[in-house]
Amino acid sequence: MTIDDAVGEPRVRRLGGHLVLGVLSLACVFPVYWLYATSVRAPGDVYSLSVLPWPLSTASYADAFAKNDVLGMLLNTGVVAVFSALGQLLVALLAAYAFVAWRFPLQRLLYLMFVGTWLVPFQATMLPNYVLLSRLGLLETLAGVIVPTLCSALGVLLLREHLAGFPKELLDAARMDGRSSWSTLWLVVVPALRPALAALGILLAITAWNEYFWPAMVLQRSNAVVQLGLRSFMGTEGNDWGPLMATAGLACLPVLVLYLVLQRHIVNAFVRSGLK
Amino acid sequence: MSRIQLQGITRRFGPVTAVDDVWLDIADGEFLVLLGPSGCGKSTLLRLIAGLLPPTEGRLWLDDTDLTHVPPQQRDLAMVFQSYALYPHLSVARNIGFPLRARKWPRAEIRAKVAEVAATLGLTALLDRKPKELSGGQRQRVALGRALVRDPGAFLLDEPLSNLDAKLRTGTRAEIAELHRSLGTTMVYVTHDQVEAMTMATRIALLDEGRLAQLGTPSEVYDRPASVFAATFLGSPAMNILDATVRSADGSLAAHGKGIELSLGIDAVLPDRPVRLGVRPEHLTFAPAGGRGIHAVVTAVENLGSEEVVQCLAGEGRIAVRGPRPLGVSAGDAVTLTARPEHLHLFDSASGRRLTWQPESVPASV
Repeated sequence: MTIDDAVGEPRVRRLGGHLVLGVLSLACVFPVYWLYATSVRAPGDVYSLSVLPWPLSTASYADAFAKNDVLGMLLNTGVVAVFSALGQLLVALLAAYAFVAWRFPLQRLLYLMFVGTWLVPFQATMLPNYVLLSRLGLLETLAGVIVPTLCSALGVLLLREHLAGFPKELLDAARMDGRSSWSTLWLVVVPALRPALAALGILLAITAWNEYFWPAMVLQRSNAVVQLGLRSFMGTEGNDWGPLMATAGLACLPVLVLYLVLQRHIVNAFVRSGLK
Repeated sequence: MSRIQLQGITRRFGPVTAVDDVWLDIADGEFLVLLGPSGCGKSTLLRLIAGLLPPTEGRLWLDDTDLTHVPPQQRDLAMVFQSYALYPHLSVARNIGFPLRARKWPRAEIRAKVAEVAATLGLTALLDRKPKELSGGQRQRVALGRALVRDPGAFLLDEPLSNLDAKLRTGTRAEIAELHRSLGTTMVYVTHDQVEAMTMATRIALLDEGRLAQLGTPSEVYDRPASVFAATFLGSPAMNILDATVRSADGSLAAHGKGIELSLGIDAVLPDRPVRLGVRPEHLTFAPAGGRGIHAVVTAVENLGSEEVVQCLAGEGRIAVRGPRPLGVSAGDAVTLTARPEHLHLFDSASGRRLTWQPESVPASV
């Protein structure tokens, strides 16, 4: 066996690997490309199968803005995503810190119960939450969408795992240096956990942005958040593909931008969660 | 300036007693080293003094203040951790100034104090760096600086040199000792390294399984070990311990054993008593063959540069002899080893406690 053989063999394998990855990424990217391609076709060309949309037209976007309050929907969705993610982060941070930095009776049992809520399916909590929101008068409000999502077992689980690997001597050092538990959290723990918090925050924001069923139940309006607004272009007499694709394209845009800017953090978020 | 008193401090973790009824009076300005093997409870004892752990029993005093239930933030103590525990997101300057910000010092005063401490420790050029950009020795200095900046009543140091390489350790050891001399502040220093303990301490508290095995100056602990444990923990190679019997012959006492006959230099007549005989490697000398002493066979000769360590087999026991190179023996030689009576240590064969000769009485446990 020569050195060339030893080097050559992995090169062929690497090429094969790239080919498979190339085909898979094409399969992933193509539907998104088709969405944007359809959104910029002229109204008469919506059913065209040509790969390149030509002539380009913004008619579908104009149509979408005329038929629906797209900006309002995007703003509402943004509010839900940001507050839901921030709220979940705060709850998860406080809970995880308490579980790791403090010792209290029944700690392990409480943690298991907390995380156990993750195993309860959404369908089981949906109706009790709905009734509660109704009694609190929060139905048909954005707060009604956000509040029940604030306590995230996933967030607690992930942050606790991160904090478990956090050097305890840093917490002790902060105590010796005169800091309380509360200021230690904000001055020592949070700065050190910033990458994990960013990753988790992005994951939670994207999940909240894409949520469809729960906002539909609580808001009971077709134009409250963008995922519901899309439905208004789908009718029994056929779908209004142009504005539907234009609105869907706009709905995807913040997530795509977020992804492009914070790609490393998002990949981290998925790797760390071991989910999805 | 602080005097620290530990009165019957005990700490249990479930069924395990990590620190067992420790009484210590650490004088103001003293450099006390808590010494012992891994798991002996020395770090736990330091954390108890720091307030990071509450004691299960006992009381802790700093001067005239009962600190037993005072949280660490309110104790006038600073601690240097084994891992240095530097805040990774803060610069060297902000790490050093951290305790002052917690005490709400004005910014200008913090800057001045940090600059002063940094100059003392040679850190002035590194003030803007993050801990990850520093070498082990520099991190160690920053950790020291963070403790120094507060002018605390006492310093607690938890194996601060254990992560440094041998050369740096020697240098930093001297610097810490010098720092103690110049500040005159009480220091409690945890280590498992006997060289650190012997060279830096004004007193050593030797711990064994959570209990105080011996408390004394380095010379006292080395020259008059209170037990077999203390005798074998300090010294390299460790003190030789052999089973023997103290027997009277011709009106004086001698230690007898398998191939052992050593005079204890005490004129007395006593009934036979089994003991454990201890003698340090550097106190053994080669005697003319066939004379009184320990009859042994050389198994190996280790070259330490300026000195040699000769490993021997005497009966079933192993004996090390240490002396200036060359000692003039080689593996396989039959030798007779002897030591002056004042260099022989006797320990009770059952309890392992030191036996001392008190005239007009029988040997008694200390």
